[in-house]
Amino acid sequence: MTVEECYRAFGGDYEGTIDRLVTEELVTKYLIRFLNDPSYGSLVDAFSAGGSKDREAFQAVHTLKGLSLNLGMTQLTKSAAALTEALRFGRKPEAEACFAQVKLDYNMTAEAIRRLAEAG
Amino acid sequence: MSENSKPKVLIVDDSEINRSLLIDMLGEQYEIIEARDGEQAMDLIWRMGHELAIMLLDIVMPGVDGFAVLEEMNRNSWMINSIPVIVISSEAGSNILNRAFELGVVDFISRPFNFLIVQKRVKNAIMLYVKQKKLSSIVESEIYENEKRSSLLIMVLSHVVEFRNKESGLHVMNINTATRMLLKCLVKKTKKYALTSSDISAIAMASSLHDIGKISIPAEILNKPGRLTKEEFEVMKTHTEAGAFMLEDIPFGQDDYLLKTAYQICRWHHERYDGRGYPDGLIGDAIPIAAQVVGLADVYDALTSERVYKPAFAHDEAMRMILQGECGVFNPLLLECLKESELDLEKALKKDFFENRVQSDVHKITEERYGNIDNIASMRTLKLLEYERNKARFYASLSEDVFFDYSVNPDLLTITGQGLKRFKVPETMYYPIRNEKLLSVIRKEDLEALAEKLKSAKDEDMRIRCDVELMVDGKPEWNRIVARPVRASDGSHEFRGAIGVVSNIQKDYMKILEMEERARKNLAGHEAYLATDIETRLY
Repeated sequence: MTVEECYRAFGGDYEGTIDRLVTEELVTKYLIRFLNDPSYGSLVDAFSAGGSKDREAFQAVHTLKGLSLNLGMTQLTKSAAALTEALRFGRKPEAEACFAQVKLDYNMTAEAIRRLAEAG
Repeated sequence: MSENSKPKVLIVDDSEINRSLLIDMLGEQYEIIEARDGEQAMDLIWRMGHELAIMLLDIVMPGVDGFAVLEEMNRNSWMINSIPVIVISSEAGSNILNRAFELGVVDFISRPFNFLIVQKRVKNAIMLYVKQKKLSSIVESEIYENEKRSSLLIMVLSHVVEFRNKESGLHVMNINTATRMLLKCLVKKTKKYALTSSDISAIAMASSLHDIGKISIPAEILNKPGRLTKEEFEVMKTHTEAGAFMLEDIPFGQDDYLLKTAYQICRWHHERYDGRGYPDGLIGDAIPIAAQVVGLADVYDALTSERVYKPAFAHDEAMRMILQGECGVFNPLLLECLKESELDLEKALKKDFFENRVQSDVHKITEERYGNIDNIASMRTLKLLEYERNKARFYASLSEDVFFDYSVNPDLLTITGQGLKRFKVPETMYYPIRNEKLLSVIRKEDLEALAEKLKSAKDEDMRIRCDVELMVDGKPEWNRIVARPVRASDGSHEFRGAIGVVSNIQKDYMKILEMEERARKNLAGHEAYLATDIETRLY
């Protein structure tokens, strides 16, 4: 699997990202590091606490949004952005749905990166 | 800061990947320092702010966020003025931007990061600030050199004039010093004369020319050892108009503040507040304030120095004569200033004249003239600070005692290396009174008692001594704390912090206990002996 294919698999912007980060080497390095980033985990924990940890959930998804934006993960960025707004001033009713979408997009992205990592 | 080392960049972001990305982009050209949140960032800025070339700051962080950091940097304005801040954020709404720029942020880099853009923007911001700092340093140096040179020239000129009078060369310098002191006191009392630091400097300089007219007075009258006759006195009086006339005659610079002031001083330094002076009989504030001040300074100096026609009077005698109106009538505000500056005046006259002018005068003048450049602590000052810090650190490292440094704002206690080993506390502790590690070493009541003592010590030179029992490595140990308060030097004397030393006196303490024990035993034994003795004698 090539980096470009990986990006297609998770609905990301390969061209734009290479434009900004210049080398595929750097991009690959950070894609793999993304898998170990704690913000998704923190988001899941905080969101599942059912309202008492919404502030932490907001910060986690905000961080996740920034990360995915940096790495050109267009799909994930969209859903993370939506969830960020849904949590910014307290939990809005659409937060549940947004969270579900984030989970979907994250897992799809992570899966694609894992395939890339295995391919060497 | 060595010229060849890489510039230091502080990156503040709670996300490790983000920091890492930026490090990948900047690590080659810069030395990167990282902070995970606002509190870490502030700690680093306080400790090494003047070494930082630039700071990249995220806004959304847990705990102390980016805006809180910016606000604190603005409260301590040297920080925001000497460290350029670039905000890195995926939040790019205009209200965020507005607030950031209002807080003095230099640039804004939004996500996603672009390798080339990040590099270029960082470089630009650093260069901008370096240029600004260099400029302000240059300006300050130039002004300093300028003032020094003009002062020297004027001194030479007035010495030439004074030479004929056979007066001590000290006269000109004394007038200069006294004029400066009185003016500084005056502007603190009232704004009605509208004088800037620059003006004060100019007036003091011009004061050196006040008797320049004496060059036209015949030597026999100038140096007559006895009382002058009426006619002789009339001739003497003309030195005021003569001096003014000479200054007026200078073909250029008639608009110059210095020259105008010199004219005022020459012509009117013998006027009296009640209008009975000479040559023009001006009354009250019709007499330019420069002339009033020099007039008073002149009288004071004449009284306290030896002249051909009189011996020197003591300082107290001179004060008495002036205040009781025996030497002319003066502006009551000025007399107040004279009284208030009494002690400083007595000390300062006879000291080295240019050195009397502290670097701070020059800095004030630079500030007033160039507005924006002010508050950027000049590189020279920062380098001096760095040097002093290294000195202190070195001396502390040579001793087994523990040195500490406490500040009220921020509420921070700093301990030297020995303390880390002995007490197992961290080097810096915010809100020390709540710090668990600290409280496991020293009792809270002891800390509070020490703080009380320091706050009530009004005089900075007062040393507070406290013997406290500390817990070191789980064992009780007696220590002596010697400390002194640090107070604001701006006149408010506000309690700003404290510095001190903690020394282990357990051995001495044990000795003292032993001696006390022995003494008690001796006394008991002695008492017992006396008791038996009395008994035997009585019965």
